Amino acid sequence: MSSFLARRFAYSLVTLFVLTLLVFFLGQVLPGNVGRAILGPFADQKAVEVLNHQLGVDRPLLVQYGAWIGRFLQGDMGQSYIYRAPVADFVIPALGHSLKLAAVAFLVVVPLGIAGGVVAALNINRPTDRIISLGGLSAAAIPEFVSGIVMVLIFGVWLRWLPISAAWPDGAGALTQLYYLILPAMPLVFVLFGYIARMTRAGMIEALDSDYTRTAVLKGLPWRQVIWRHVLRNALLPTITVVASQTGYLIGGLLVVETLFRYQGLGSLIYNAAKGKDFPMLEASVLIIGLTYAVATLIADLLYSWLNPRIRMDGGQ
Amino acid sequence: MTYVAIPATRNRRHEFFATLLRSGSFLAGVPIVVFWVFCSVFGPHIVPYDPLAEDVLNALGPPSSVHWFGTDQLGRDIFSRVLVGSRDILIVAPLATIMATAVGTVLGLITGYFRGILDDVISRLIEATMAIPGVIVSLLAIVALGTSEGTVIIVIGLSFGPVIGRTVRSAVLAERELDYVAAATLRRENSTHIMFIEILPNILPPILVESTVRLGYAIFAVAALSFLGFGLQPPSPDWALSVSANYSMISGGFWWTVLFDAVAIASLVVGVNLTADGLHGALDD
Amino acid sequence: MTRNANLLDDLRFSLTPVENHLIDGYADGRVNRRDFLRHGSLLGLSLPFLGQVALAAGFGAAPSVAQANVQPGATIRVAGPAPEGAIDPVLSGNYGAILMFQQVGEFLCVDGPDLLLKPSLATSWKPNQDGTVWTFTLRKGVKFHSGGEMKADDVVATMDRLADPKNSSNALSVFKGILQKGGIRKVDDYTVEFHLDGPNGNFPYLVSSDNYNTIILPASYSGDFETTWDGTGSFRIEKFARNVGASFVRNDDYWGPKALPAKTEFTFFQDIQPQILALQAGQVDIINTLPALAGVALLSDPSFDIISIKSTANQAVHMHCQTGPFQDARVRQAVALSLDREKLVKGLMKGRAVAGNDSPFASIYPSTDPSVPQRKQDIQKAKELLKAAGFEKGLQATLTAPQALEIPAFAQLIQSWVKEIGLDLKLNIMDRGAFFGDAVPGKSPWLDAEMGIADWGHRGVPNVFLTALLTSTGPWNAAKFQNKEYDTLAKSYIASFDLDTQRENAGKIQRLLLQETPMLFSYFFDHLTAVKKGVVGVQPTAMGQLFLHGAGIS
Repeated sequence: MSSFLARRFAYSLVTLFVLTLLVFFLGQVLPGNVGRAILGPFADQKAVEVLNHQLGVDRPLLVQYGAWIGRFLQGDMGQSYIYRAPVADFVIPALGHSLKLAAVAFLVVVPLGIAGGVVAALNINRPTDRIISLGGLSAAAIPEFVSGIVMVLIFGVWLRWLPISAAWPDGAGALTQLYYLILPAMPLVFVLFGYIARMTRAGMIEALDSDYTRTAVLKGLPWRQVIWRHVLRNALLPTITVVASQTGYLIGGLLVVETLFRYQGLGSLIYNAAKGKDFPMLEASVLIIGLTYAVATLIADLLYSWLNPRIRMDGGQ
Repeated sequence: MTYVAIPATRNRRHEFFATLLRSGSFLAGVPIVVFWVFCSVFGPHIVPYDPLAEDVLNALGPPSSVHWFGTDQLGRDIFSRVLVGSRDILIVAPLATIMATAVGTVLGLITGYFRGILDDVISRLIEATMAIPGVIVSLLAIVALGTSEGTVIIVIGLSFGPVIGRTVRSAVLAERELDYVAAATLRRENSTHIMFIEILPNILPPILVESTVRLGYAIFAVAALSFLGFGLQPPSPDWALSVSANYSMISGGFWWTVLFDAVAIASLVVGVNLTADGLHGALDD
Repeated sequence: MTRNANLLDDLRFSLTPVENHLIDGYADGRVNRRDFLRHGSLLGLSLPFLGQVALAAGFGAAPSVAQANVQPGATIRVAGPAPEGAIDPVLSGNYGAILMFQQVGEFLCVDGPDLLLKPSLATSWKPNQDGTVWTFTLRKGVKFHSGGEMKADDVVATMDRLADPKNSSNALSVFKGILQKGGIRKVDDYTVEFHLDGPNGNFPYLVSSDNYNTIILPASYSGDFETTWDGTGSFRIEKFARNVGASFVRNDDYWGPKALPAKTEFTFFQDIQPQILALQAGQVDIINTLPALAGVALLSDPSFDIISIKSTANQAVHMHCQTGPFQDARVRQAVALSLDREKLVKGLMKGRAVAGNDSPFASIYPSTDPSVPQRKQDIQKAKELLKAAGFEKGLQATLTAPQALEIPAFAQLIQSWVKEIGLDLKLNIMDRGAFFGDAVPGKSPWLDAEMGIADWGHRGVPNVFLTALLTSTGPWNAAKFQNKEYDTLAKSYIASFDLDTQRENAGKIQRLLLQETPMLFSYFFDHLTAVKKGVVGVQPTAMGQLFLHGAGIS
């Protein structure tokens, strides 16, 4: 187990290192330059050059990358070019925001999705199953920008039940924050519900059909117990993988939702950093997502092995 | 998800089609897809108005007997635009999926067959790209390369490729231990031959299923990119582009400028997913 | 109007020849009252002198006339664009930042509605004989929020900072060729002279709110605006949260009448849609900048007032005059003739615009020659021109444009109109940042496109449009328009500062540009601000600034 963890850790480090290189060098093909991004299209070219020189972005690429990673390895995320303030002041709160939003969405959608999948599997090919499966599929097919706007219209503008912006007042407590996050979480719930329900349903059907279930039933175990102890446990396996594989999306891919609800998450941070060629900011925020993703897949693997003792952690495949 | 490879015999094929035709989701999904394909081909001849004809002085008219779905901000007939709006996405999304499948198959075959260092390197690269959310990657790529249909195809193809590659890789891993591969190795066939001539035909079913599933996501992805302004170019009546151009209008009560396009996107993705679901079921039997 | 000749003569006694010339023009009817006021304000004739204009709540200056029924002490909530990056009056040129530093800072003079320059930190200004030296008299008793008095040294330091190429100043492109570091001289503590590189008849606009970077900062300013927020304005900073919002409170040490609101709260948005929703949900009182097309629902909503300010903001189309099909002026004219400007104004801009005549001379500029005929749609003539140019069988081109405001819709309208004359136009709409690129030829789709659209903000005088966009060496000359006669005319327009000469030069430029048509100025759109009913005394500018010291809830 510990050797498995060590290897996973080493792999993740390599992956993250590759990520920093990818971001830095691929980012160079983005049009524009920092000075131009700060000063705007109509500033004098001379002013742009002076600013670029001050920021040091006119140095050779490798020198810039080396300087950045050297500081980064010492725990210094660097200064944002655009905001002229420490990157950590932006990335850490943004991560906090993204995690909160993802957590709210998860809290709603995971139980809902699993319950939906279980109900569908137990009623396989009956109307209930059809409604859940088709409903989930359709909900997942609605782009976030559409469901988000419709929700805002209904609950924010017409009914006025919920705040239309995710920016809660200063010093708001956990419950208030939750209240502000309900609407922004809805599009995510839509997108993920069908996905999770579908995976759970498929896992359930496979598990229900399996030898061990049959054995359990033949042994005379009560049906409820068979479902809880054997079937559900196995059905959860693919669900966990799915949820983990969506972490990157949930933490950093919510640009549309963040824009719509005026939420300061990692998605918009990355997008704006990339547009402004603000590399210290871009690197740090992408790395944070990579790290979260790595941790989430690791937790998923551990959960997987815990729920399914048949898998040996040393084998990889 | 892992798939068990099915030897493609005549008998199995017959059975496959029989299952397929009994599958409810397949029978529900295919007509939807066929409907939109039909509209994209013949739509321009059956719509009541020219989908591109502006009438800006009568912009934002509500649905009426003259304009069934109302008019958009340039006064164009939304019903006509929705009907022909599938055209571009039905070209771009499948091409992107084909590209993703090709990339993924090659990646999966190489990583699964050779394993070792090559596998490690490519897998790390794949993992690195998968850690960054797809929307962001595609956005950056398109900003860098410039918006065009070609760019969208390449970007989505490349970003979906690794995902398909993973599925292919696990199928190849199971397959390479089988006797026929060992036999080919003994015959001293070269690796390319073994990968593409021996193994590939046997792992086509999971690739097919995976591609159909990806097609659904490709449609979604093209729509998302168009919504963010990085996909198809105006004046295409593309649905997501219309939603994007009009979404700031909903709060003013002009719901018809986005509702029908949104429903159309949803219906196409649902149709494709249902079809994929049916295929999956039939192949898994 | 009856005139009292004796009074006019008395008034003239202390005036310069240019000023007298202006008054003569007004007296004999060549200059109408509106243009007289505008041009007079430029020359530093004080507003009371110009005719005791009853102004609404003062602009830049204190609220001179209190609004009826306005209760002081209100909190005014505003939705505005998020500042893109650190806020620094020297560096920042984005609307979000401009709005923020203008809340605490003040200008020498302010370009109000109707292009009237009003005194603020300067009480008056005057050119020398040929317009190469402008002398500004500063207001006494103005205090920075940090305590010190604002004096000539601060003004000189502020302007030097902006004109110094070493400071990567955003205003450098405005001052280039006009004002250099060292050209700003202190005469005494309350008098400053600007020694220009050449004669300039419109100079005061370049140190007004129009040149948004020119808020007067203390001489000791060191680039740390986000911590100091030190200005002279009627509000001082209370709290600033990056990307979230900012709040300001009344400055009780203000030199003029104190601001009416006790507090103003700004919330930052990335997009217009959430701003509209926030206004509808009652979370904000004001949307500072409302695009006509995206905000069309609010334009007719009885719960909101729309403040509409005539501006010279435009979305000009340029055509590459040196290569491709557009090197033939007849092709460019044909494109211009295919546009239906009435439809653009009424349909696209919802009536909140004025048709343009393919030159920067918007009809609201006093110097614009109104006798130049307005260009109108004429498909037949356009076809004939194309035929004469050898494109009888049609031609193809690509229109490159940024994804901003109404531009994509405008591009589609152009596309459908030029189709009628046989021009098959392909659209390439791209992210705004990518469109401008590095903003140097070869690395910018904007400057490299054969046909393109760029969005231009309001300018109180047409000088920048005339020089940067259209002269042979202009840095933003995306049309690659090279015309010696034009260059000479532009130069003499800028040097001239009596209204008659300006108008004469303007007329020549307008006719020349109609003939050559390097760019299409199809409309100049109004600056719109949406305000909740009951909130009064709100003073936006066409530049995107917002003066709230006279605001309240009635």
